Amino acid sequence: MLDYLRLEVRRTLRDAGFVVGGIAMPVLMYLLFTNLGADDGTWKTGAMVGMAGYGAVGSALNTGGGVAEDRAIGWLRQLRVTPMTSRQVVAGRALTGSVTVLPAIVAVLAAGGLVNGVRLAAWQWAAIAVLLWLGSVPFTLLGLGNGYRLTGQTTGVANMACNLGLAVLGGLWFPVALFPAWLRSVSVYTPTYRFAQLGTSVADGRAPVPGAVAVLAFWLLAFGSYAVLSYRRSGRTG
Amino acid sequence: MTQTQCAAVAFAGAVKAFGAVRAVDGVDLNVARGETVALLGRNGAGKSTTISLLLGLTEPDEGSVRLFGAPPERAVRAGRVGAMLQEARAVPRVTVRELVGFVAGRYPEPLPVARALALAGIAELADRRVDRLSGGQTQRVRFAVALAGNPALLVLDEPTAALDVAARHAFWASMRGLARRGHTVLFSTHHLEEADRYADRILVIDRGRIVADGTGEQLRRSAGGGLVAVDLAGRATDGLERLAGVRSLEVRGDRARLRTDDPDATVLALAALGAIRGLEVAPASLDDAFLALTAPEPEPAPLTAPATEAV
Repeated sequence: MLDYLRLEVRRTLRDAGFVVGGIAMPVLMYLLFTNLGADDGTWKTGAMVGMAGYGAVGSALNTGGGVAEDRAIGWLRQLRVTPMTSRQVVAGRALTGSVTVLPAIVAVLAAGGLVNGVRLAAWQWAAIAVLLWLGSVPFTLLGLGNGYRLTGQTTGVANMACNLGLAVLGGLWFPVALFPAWLRSVSVYTPTYRFAQLGTSVADGRAPVPGAVAVLAFWLLAFGSYAVLSYRRSGRTG
Repeated sequence: MTQTQCAAVAFAGAVKAFGAVRAVDGVDLNVARGETVALLGRNGAGKSTTISLLLGLTEPDEGSVRLFGAPPERAVRAGRVGAMLQEARAVPRVTVRELVGFVAGRYPEPLPVARALALAGIAELADRRVDRLSGGQTQRVRFAVALAGNPALLVLDEPTAALDVAARHAFWASMRGLARRGHTVLFSTHHLEEADRYADRILVIDRGRIVADGTGEQLRRSAGGGLVAVDLAGRATDGLERLAGVRSLEVRGDRARLRTDDPDATVLALAALGAIRGLEVAPASLDDAFLALTAPEPEPAPLTAPATEAV
């Protein structure tokens, strides 16, 4: 399975769309949003977590795009006639997703620390990176669910819609504080808002709030079930 | 385990329906180890469904499919099967070596990657990206993927579909090499000549059933009959199609070609008419055999010889 992971990570990193959309874009957007106009500095930290989260969500969903592509070209079918079990294939894919979110997280955090002068304790940097990494798992599952269910093109569109919609709703691009009250009340239930909250709490020197963990756990279950159902369905239809 | 005595492939009454269409409609077949077998049929005859059943990609609705005495999934898990699937396309963003090496690594006793590439005739493409190769080269990469694991059973679904004549010859040359090494090979094709030339045995499938099983020679013989040709020498063709045994008559220039169920009787009848100039008697071709076996209805025979490309 490690070989499979290596093969798929390699394939992902060779995808120009992934490198630009999943790594370069969040970094650029972060630098752009935080360096236009006056700023008190706290947004530089908040936006750093938000954009690292946005990049991680995009990369996680991208895993599903890879699955849809592999299904369309018959590669998944080819794997089914090798000694690999389908469990190994799915687990390998999920692991690939969790590895490929790392570049986005690291790149945006690096931009925050090196370019924008964000200063945090060493444990905070480490904790933010690890929490964003773990917190991206539900989004990998959402992407896999889309990938196993939809065709290549519709997966791309669905992932894009999920990515932008959840990013904006969850306040990854603009702080939720700027939202009208009704939207803010929706926002707190989104996985993206809670996902970013994991990181922002740590940046403020606090432990993640239980609410964040609870909401994310709910979405983990929901997207996980979605992924399993989609995979079963794809097995039936070939 | 008694696996050494078990057939490489054994279907017993296998049925697979999609809605109202019985794509595989009661197939019984056995392939012994080391045999090279062609599954011959028109498009839509049930070849690909048979292969999906064989590989365990689909389950039969009725009957059973076994590979080396075990369910297909078990043989696949054990690394005894390598397959070249029909609808597969190039895997993007990997090199040939990476892809073949990865697949080889899944099997317990794989071929060295360089050996697999050489057998497939793509040693010089090892470091090229698979998605940047031509159609024929991609096809050979898929062949290398199928044989990388050194599987006991090699299953090839329409392996030469996208190849030009030269690539086809190269492909069959490497295939023969493999068959000689003791691999069991089952390939599907709708090219009669390929089945005849490269397989020990031909299974003809039509409408989801095996309608014939034997060597090319046996199929030709079982189709019976033959072709009798004579010069007309200005004679009218009237009545020739009513001679003993004659199924159909075709006139080309000054030559009459009689497709007949009983060449001897036809020749005697022609002799009685004194029409034996340039007499030629040929056995039925594999084309004829194939058409006889799979024709929608045996009667009435068409007046002109059926075009071979319809096969």
